[in-house]
Amino acid sequence: MKHIQGSLLTGYVTVRVEGRYPELFFQKCAEQGIIAWGIQKKSETTCVGNFKLQDISGLRKLKWGTNYKLAFTSRRGLPFLMRRFMKRKEVLLALALSVLLIFCLSNIIWEVKITNVPKDLEEKISKQLDEYGIHRGSWTFTLEPPSEIQQQLMNDIPELLWIGVQQKGTTYVLEGVEKTIVEEEEEEVDGPRNLVASKKGVIEKMYVSKGQPKVRVNDFVKEGDVLVSGKLPNSDEENADGKEDEKKEESHELTAAEGEVLAKTWYETEVTVPLSASTELLTGEKKTKYHLKISSFELPIWGFGDPDFEKVHRERNEKDLFFFKWKLPVTFVETIVSEKKQQQGKRSKEEAIDIGIRQAKKELLLKLGPDAEITSENVLQQTTENGKVKLILYMVAEENIVRQEPIDQGD
Amino acid sequence: MKKWQQKIAPLLTKYFSLPSDVMMELPRITIVGDLHVYIENHQGLAVYSDTELRLKTNKGYVQITGSSFVLKMMLPEEILLEGTIKEVTFIPE
Repeated sequence: MKHIQGSLLTGYVTVRVEGRYPELFFQKCAEQGIIAWGIQKKSETTCVGNFKLQDISGLRKLKWGTNYKLAFTSRRGLPFLMRRFMKRKEVLLALALSVLLIFCLSNIIWEVKITNVPKDLEEKISKQLDEYGIHRGSWTFTLEPPSEIQQQLMNDIPELLWIGVQQKGTTYVLEGVEKTIVEEEEEEVDGPRNLVASKKGVIEKMYVSKGQPKVRVNDFVKEGDVLVSGKLPNSDEENADGKEDEKKEESHELTAAEGEVLAKTWYETEVTVPLSASTELLTGEKKTKYHLKISSFELPIWGFGDPDFEKVHRERNEKDLFFFKWKLPVTFVETIVSEKKQQQGKRSKEEAIDIGIRQAKKELLLKLGPDAEITSENVLQQTTENGKVKLILYMVAEENIVRQEPIDQGD
Repeated sequence: MKKWQQKIAPLLTKYFSLPSDVMMELPRITIVGDLHVYIENHQGLAVYSDTELRLKTNKGYVQITGSSFVLKMMLPEEILLEGTIKEVTFIPE
């Protein structure tokens, strides 16, 4: 029976053969290798049998020159089903539309979930997301990848310590960790403490709100020198008791010293600045193209032709498309072709020095923190070799050099 | 030549127990109850109707009678018949 297996897929027809001795027509078919099945004799002159769809042309050939009459009474199988289905345009249209609809709905964001953060921060995040265009009803393939959204959010919302952005089908799940902003208490020491110098310098200004200053303006201090002591001598009353004066020489009140000591500090830094620099600049002229990518084939949808830019910078963003939860083998590719300009800049020595100084200043400020201020700088040494200017700079900064240190009370 | 072959074939089947249907080009008929008859190695259909099937073989005809016959499958040298079978007769030429 394997010969007629799969005939439902390839299609078969029921043929009524009319004529004298119709069974002999089937015999002729069998001789030609045409398979017939379900043959039934209906009357003396008619026979009904099934033939495969692909054998019909052979049947016609056999029929020539005989006086048999063939009539196709029914057509069955997938090809006929398909043909009948194709005839119904509205069903086909509805099917296409529904697939399109499901496809659209699969690529729309249905929910943005923000978890693990307090209410106010959640609102802030969702507002920020709105700005990026991430909200209910936006297309997923127009959005940037989650990792980039993550980066942007981290940049734009300083309260966030970390945020994880995950795309789960049509849902964006954001999981945040709030930064608990601790006021800058540099190792706040509880209890009695001294203020000592964190680096060497010459004291410029002092504001002491608690404690006894041990140094004066214009004093030179080394690292570790006590600036403000937390040890306060006992009040005058007790001092007046002349007797016990000696005994109580070492008796004192302990307090937590507080204050700010601004000092001049010095730094020596070295910078090298190349005399020639090549930079790439985008001119701002750009063209956006959209493609549908199927494995390695790219079907352009929008934006045809290459713009006649001399040098181009291409940026490609690929986005996956979904049908329900399944990732389609088709991806949506956005290509931004921007015009690029190469600039070969030559600097004079003076310019290079200027750049070097600025760079060194910036670096130093970054190291010292926002409170520091650079008051002056000097070029100590300057050499030019291999197209580079090497500078050794001497910079004077004004900064708070206070460091808290607990007073060891012994046993 | 053909005569000689026909003479030697029964001997071969007898002494070497080779399948007789292959050696002598005889039809092989398989009957399942009174429902199916499966005939292989026949040489053509001679008569077919609702109640009778006659096939040519190299030594005459095989006639199968019964009622409500349907040829379930028809291949060049095989036929599967379905229906109610009454008798199978060999009609010599």
